[in-house]
Amino acid sequence: MSSNGPTPSTNQPAWRRALKIHAIRFFFVGGFFLLWEVASGRWIEAFLISSPSKIWLAFLKVYQSGELTTNTWVTFQEIAIGFPVGALTGIWTGYIFGRSKALADIFEPIIIALYGVPRTALAPLFIVWLGIGIWSKVGVVFILVFFLNFFNTYAGMKQLDQEFVDLARLMGANRWRLSFRVILPAVSPYIITGFKTSIPFSVIGAITGEFIAATEGLGYYIRAAAGVFRTADVFVGIAVLMIIVILMNKVADLIERRVLRWQTQSESVQVQG
Amino acid sequence: MSNSPDNIVIQVDNVSKTFQTADTDRVGALENISLDIRQGEFVTVVGPSGCGKSTLIKLIAGLVSLSGGRIICQGEEVRGLNTKVGYVPQESKLFPWLTVEQNVAFGLDSKGYSKSERDQRVQHFIQLAGLAGFEKRYPSQLSGGMAKRASIVRALAYDPTVILMDEPFGPLDAQTRMILQDELLKIWEHKRQTIIFVTHDLVEAVALADRVVVMTHRPGKIRDVITVPMTRPRNIFEIHRQPGFDEAHAKLWNIFRHELNLKNGASAAVGN
Ligand SMILES: Nc1ncnc2c1ncn2[C@@H]1O[C@H](COP(=O)(O)OP(=O)(O)O)[C@@H](O)[C@H]1O
Ligand SMILES: [Mg+2]
Repeated sequence: MSSNGPTPSTNQPAWRRALKIHAIRFFFVGGFFLLWEVASGRWIEAFLISSPSKIWLAFLKVYQSGELTTNTWVTFQEIAIGFPVGALTGIWTGYIFGRSKALADIFEPIIIALYGVPRTALAPLFIVWLGIGIWSKVGVVFILVFFLNFFNTYAGMKQLDQEFVDLARLMGANRWRLSFRVILPAVSPYIITGFKTSIPFSVIGAITGEFIAATEGLGYYIRAAAGVFRTADVFVGIAVLMIIVILMNKVADLIERRVLRWQTQSESVQVQG
Repeated sequence: MSNSPDNIVIQVDNVSKTFQTADTDRVGALENISLDIRQGEFVTVVGPSGCGKSTLIKLIAGLVSLSGGRIICQGEEVRGLNTKVGYVPQESKLFPWLTVEQNVAFGLDSKGYSKSERDQRVQHFIQLAGLAGFEKRYPSQLSGGMAKRASIVRALAYDPTVILMDEPFGPLDAQTRMILQDELLKIWEHKRQTIIFVTHDLVEAVALADRVVVMTHRPGKIRDVITVPMTRPRNIFEIHRQPGFDEAHAKLWNIFRHELNLKNGASAAVGN
């Protein structure tokens, strides 16, 4: 096009680049679904991979019957309780351990040993302890989320620059200010990383629990459907799980943008003198 | 203000510091240091790296505990954190998650200034640091020199009795350094806070100071205290031409040359 203008790749406006990226992505995903639809029943057995159209029909059916909503609601509750509680206690424990050398010295080896246990292997125990209702799944979600948040926060606390703490204390910061205005913000990049990493694991925790023993929930629904080769229903369940994770990520992105505003703002601004 | 005898604000009295490192190792950082600092004095501290300059600063701030002796700040013995001091570390160490304004206000918020006094002081010190218009910026958006100025006024803003500066201009390039020295002196002429300023640059030490404290290595001791007779205000950019500079600088250099010779002799002896 503009042979006399500047190089288009570096100077095209941002919206044009974004448009291009979206268009390519759209065609890629659309092409994938199209290929899936065509392949189903023609090149690959339909009961193995179902097809987008069958999945859509299955979705309408389970949605209208209320089955999907009920099961989604159960899984949602497990995550909605287990995730925030796990994240907050994980962050809090990581913070406390980071502040208290004595606590860290006593409990660190224990926690590291526990970390070595594949935590999903604890799921059957939670069923034994807490029954087949939602609380055993809340427990699994909690434990997965707790550890990720704990470890990231604790790792951040170990990196904490003591000079920030000294400065704040010399300037007269009380405990509260020291925690919330200095230490937690300083560690926030680590905390956010743990928080975001734990999102998919919260869903894994809930589903794992439901796979093992449950009478409701998306994991139960997926396992039941797969048991009778209703592949389309399995995909409906998986799609809902994906949507849950995507929505949680969106919320986490909003939180991240707010909490880490001080990191992201630096790129766009230039400086003089 | 001047209610303590002879206007002494800081009295370092026969202070020693030994660090207990791993196992039974002990590192003697400071040995029998005594030093009186008067109200409004600008004191610089020079000495070879590792002689305990930072340790001295941290002892005065109460950030590390004494092994012997005592430090008295405004008539009160320092035990634990000394919140009467302001501290400017080598790197600017502005809180990167707070804006320039919030950084400068940090000490004011912590020490319970009223809202109006707080805002007024913050604005005043931001002006003084030449940072007007940058109030809402984050430290990552500032140049090194700007960050340094912000770091200095952050320590000045809440009016500490003494300001401790630990090689604050160390990592900066020569020009920026000189400009900041000039600005620091101007701010100081204005307020006349007591400043203890650590540096390893002999020219800087003389140019800024009323008195230069010279420390020696192993053990960390005060070798000498030189009074700089130059008048104020001083012109940092032509400091060499000011009467008194050469004399003080030569004195200082003599001490250091002596130290270097000693060291060479010592290492030669070890070599044999
Ligand atoms: N926290 C510490 N633990 C052990 N040794 C230390 C500690 N801080 C400083 N030292 C030792 O004390 C001596 C003086 O250090 P420092 O005050 O930092 O010197 P300077 O600031 O003059 O370079 C050095 O030998 C250093 O290794
Ligand atoms: Mg030092």
